[in-house]
Amino acid sequence: MSYIKRFDQDLAYYFSELLEQPLAKPLWIYLSLSHRCTYRCQMCGVVKILKGYELDIEDVKRVFDELASWDWDFNIVITGGEPFLRNDIFEILKYAEKTNLKIEVVSNGSLINQEIAEKIISSGLSNIAISLDGAQEETHDFIREKGAFKKAIEAIKYLVAAKKINGFGPQISVWTTIMKANVGELYDIISLVNDLGVECLVYHPVVVAQEDMQNTSSQARFWLNENDINKLKEQIDKIVDYQKNNGLVVFIHDPYLWIKHFKGQLTKKEWKCNPFVFVNIGPDGELRSCGAAFGNIKEMPLNACLETPEAAQARKVMKNCAKPCLQTCWANPEADSLTNIIDIFIHDLGKDKFEKKDKKELLLAALSKLAVYEELLKKC
Amino acid sequence: MLSLKEVIISITNRCNLRCRMCDIPYEKNEELSTAEWKKVIRDASRLGAQTIVFSGGEPLFREDIFELISFTKNNSLNACVTSNGHLIDQQVAANLSASGVNVVNISIEGMKETHDFLRGAGSFDKAVSALANLRDYNIESTVASTVSKYNYAELLYVLEVAKEYKATTVRLQPFNIIFLKDSARQSEFLVDKLDIQKIENVVKRFIDLSKEYKIFINPESYLLKIPAYLTGKKFYPDNCGALWYSCPINSKGDVFPCWVEGANNKLIGNVREESLYGLWLSKKRIKMVNTIINNGCQGCLMSCYDEAFNHNFLKKNIFNKFKKIKKIADCQRVINKVRQSLKSQITKFKLRYRFYTSYRGSLTSILKRRLVGIFNKTRYPEKNSRGGKEAILLEINQVKNKIKKEIHSL
Repeated sequence: MSYIKRFDQDLAYYFSELLEQPLAKPLWIYLSLSHRCTYRCQMCGVVKILKGYELDIEDVKRVFDELASWDWDFNIVITGGEPFLRNDIFEILKYAEKTNLKIEVVSNGSLINQEIAEKIISSGLSNIAISLDGAQEETHDFIREKGAFKKAIEAIKYLVAAKKINGFGPQISVWTTIMKANVGELYDIISLVNDLGVECLVYHPVVVAQEDMQNTSSQARFWLNENDINKLKEQIDKIVDYQKNNGLVVFIHDPYLWIKHFKGQLTKKEWKCNPFVFVNIGPDGELRSCGAAFGNIKEMPLNACLETPEAAQARKVMKNCAKPCLQTCWANPEADSLTNIIDIFIHDLGKDKFEKKDKKELLLAALSKLAVYEELLKKC
Repeated sequence: MLSLKEVIISITNRCNLRCRMCDIPYEKNEELSTAEWKKVIRDASRLGAQTIVFSGGEPLFREDIFELISFTKNNSLNACVTSNGHLIDQQVAANLSASGVNVVNISIEGMKETHDFLRGAGSFDKAVSALANLRDYNIESTVASTVSKYNYAELLYVLEVAKEYKATTVRLQPFNIIFLKDSARQSEFLVDKLDIQKIENVVKRFIDLSKEYKIFINPESYLLKIPAYLTGKKFYPDNCGALWYSCPINSKGDVFPCWVEGANNKLIGNVREESLYGLWLSKKRIKMVNTIINNGCQGCLMSCYDEAFNHNFLKKNIFNKFKKIKKIADCQRVINKVRQSLKSQITKFKLRYRFYTSYRGSLTSILKRRLVGIFNKTRYPEKNSRGGKEAILLEINQVKNKIKKEIHSL
């Protein structure tokens, strides 16, 4: 992404939130093709809702065509349920490759054998993520299902081997959900994953879905108590130390916020959703950001869905949300303050060796962009 | 302003029973199609509702009821059905279970003779067998009774039935005139003022027994108002929550501010002409609700706003009790009463507290956070706080200077 484009997008997110107008397009587009899944994980109730709905491939293709015409940098993430349960998943990936879209897939690895791994590697994805919730077989199997650990490890092995043969391919990453059952093994996952040849490891704390929020017992099952939080502190120290020297782990936000998340002390000053950053397309075709649905891609184009009055209403609810939830994808912390955006821009410019003339041009372009938004603000 | 919580759909006026206290089946029947109801349910989901209640008439008369229930569930809403139980045989119970319904509410009015007298011969046996079938298919069932002159003596028996068939809740609601066409018949159901003590005793025993059986009931303060209401007294809550969070729709698709005001021809609109989304957020509705609240309502004591009474319980009733003291001998009695009510509030608070701590941390940490917020407001860095428009314009200027500085340094 060129520096000026990133600067432009960050400014757009900042001012869309401020002025409550859709000046920006989403950065993350999650696509749930269906909610069918091979596992019934403890922390996830997605299988129970929108049963029987399947997103039609023709609708997906139409959305991809529209997305290809956007002048915007964004990521499409295919989730589910389990995306590889769909028979037409590779047809969808192929179509995305044709339209030059950046696509990631999140899977639990249960269906990835050698043949499918080779197909995935050569399908033009930018990232394939496998969920791994424990360094030990018992932990992972306890959270997911018996035999899940072996299958996930096998899937990663197949993917790594296929990538070696092919020479190039998507980034192979592992996603770990932090919860009560696995809090002691977070650091151990690093060495396990490193030996397997994974290129990226992402941690994210468990978020109890709205549906389960009323159920106190399910809260207690995943949530960390005081004792567990001390364990988490130790683990974070070790992980941060490792990350400084070796990389591999990618932090989407400050890991010490996890402690505040589990203590329930996270305030809006530390973490805030930007309602324009994330959008989810459900298997019924409805768009949701957080909570209420606001438009159906079967009825109107995606762009129109994002500008419905329902969408504005949903964003208002998100903006006034009292409980920040630390979902990894739903915020763009860099675009949270204007000074921050400029600092990052200047810092990025300093990294590359530009000629003075080019640098001056970029800075002047930034100034003119700022002036446009200033005008807009003054008009309001 | 409270947001929408539940939508109550009277899905049909058709019914197989002709109950004494209800004239709905005699009204003209006009129904919306499946697709139209689906649109309403989807709008409700978009408005953030949690529950759809299918009522009627007898909602199971609709052929598409199971489809609508599973559609409701698929939109992550709770589905609740209110029925007289006549149609719930093994097959229907299996269908209900498959559709994923959350709660089925069966009406039981009292002992067999009373029930059959109020609702028609043979209806008690059907209702009880419906409860048994629901229990067999592990569907949560609740029991509802309309309290009137005919059945107030048998409320305890209703609890026994609920206990036997493992119903989780018994909800009472006093007889209300709005379901009758002929308002002259109201006196038929009201109670003589001399009998008020009798009903009070029954209600008190009802509350005690429900605690013993661990069956949920309406808030106590609400139940204790029923006897006086049945003698003709009206009750006006401070602020009826039902107006803000529940949305009644009749079989024609008319949306009312509430059922009682609907009977007075106060109409917000029709879902055929305008979407529920637009109607609910319309200025017309908010204006109408505000006038009802400011000018006073009918004082209906319908169970849809029973929580409103619960809210006022501690604040008002304790002080009222102390006001009534005239002799010193009464003191002990009043203190005992207050202690009891405090006890029940404390157990409620304990349950809430347990949930709160599991989510928000221990009590000390909660208090610390609160105190820090009050006394030391500058503790958190004010990095992201955004002042008014001027503050942001100032920030823009600062940022511009920064860039200009960078350009000069080249």
